Amino acid sequence: MTNLTYNEAHLVKKAKAGEQWAIAALVENHSSKVYNLALRLMQNQEDAEDVLQETFLVFMDKIHSFKGNASIGTWLYRIGTNVALGKLRVKDYIDRDISIHDPGFESLKGYEIRNWPDHPENELDPESFNECLKKALQTLSEDYRFVFVLRDLEGLSTKETAKLLKITESNVKVRLMRARLFLRDQLAKKLKCVERREYE
Amino acid sequence: MSDHQHNEQFLQELYDQFGKDIDEEIIIDVVEHMKNCPDCKIYVDSVKQIVKIYRVNESEQTVPDDVSERLFKTLRIKRTQA
Repeated sequence: MTNLTYNEAHLVKKAKAGEQWAIAALVENHSSKVYNLALRLMQNQEDAEDVLQETFLVFMDKIHSFKGNASIGTWLYRIGTNVALGKLRVKDYIDRDISIHDPGFESLKGYEIRNWPDHPENELDPESFNECLKKALQTLSEDYRFVFVLRDLEGLSTKETAKLLKITESNVKVRLMRARLFLRDQLAKKLKCVERREYE
Repeated sequence: MSDHQHNEQFLQELYDQFGKDIDEEIIIDVVEHMKNCPDCKIYVDSVKQIVKIYRVNESEQTVPDDVSERLFKTLRIKRTQA
């Protein structure tokens, strides 16, 4: 066991016993990770701060019953995602099965990507490029954004993402592919590397 | 990189995307198709690239001091460090 995990286990034990200093230390240790997750999911600072606070309020309320089957970080991840989901009231979306054949999502319907550059980041000034990425992620609807953030940015597995969002693994894959295509297409439009299909 | 190495890498990526239950025959067909289809190559390359771009651009942010202060105030606990 490493010092870090020993310290964490010790902190959790003390926090479960109600020791304030241990709770404070766990909040310090994990607030950055939760805040970054919340920022990515919510896409604005005010909502991210709300998610951060609510996550740790739940943490304090439930720490006495924490069984330790997962790490405290993973547990906070689950709480944070659930708080964010509740905040966006996307329960209906999350429960909905999305088929790969659902119409109306293809953002570049009737167009094809042509001349995609080897280094898209060099095609625009850094400020415009970052603004384009940010705007695309903000425009992406929550049911796709949550999957993209958890899978591609936070590095969770398909199985973990499915479990967290309470959707099937197949739906995680469908949503992830659609999210990636949407984001790619937004950048392609900005870079003007799309052409109308000849047969349209 | 040899064709063999390239295929191995591509196979791994396919497994990562679609799960290990994907039919091997489908993978072989996809690999063969990719060799001769520039449109599909653009499709796959651009999607892979967009993920990389977002990963690079989404750097970790530290919690601003005022946000941290409000968090501890809401939780009604004292910070362990300033």
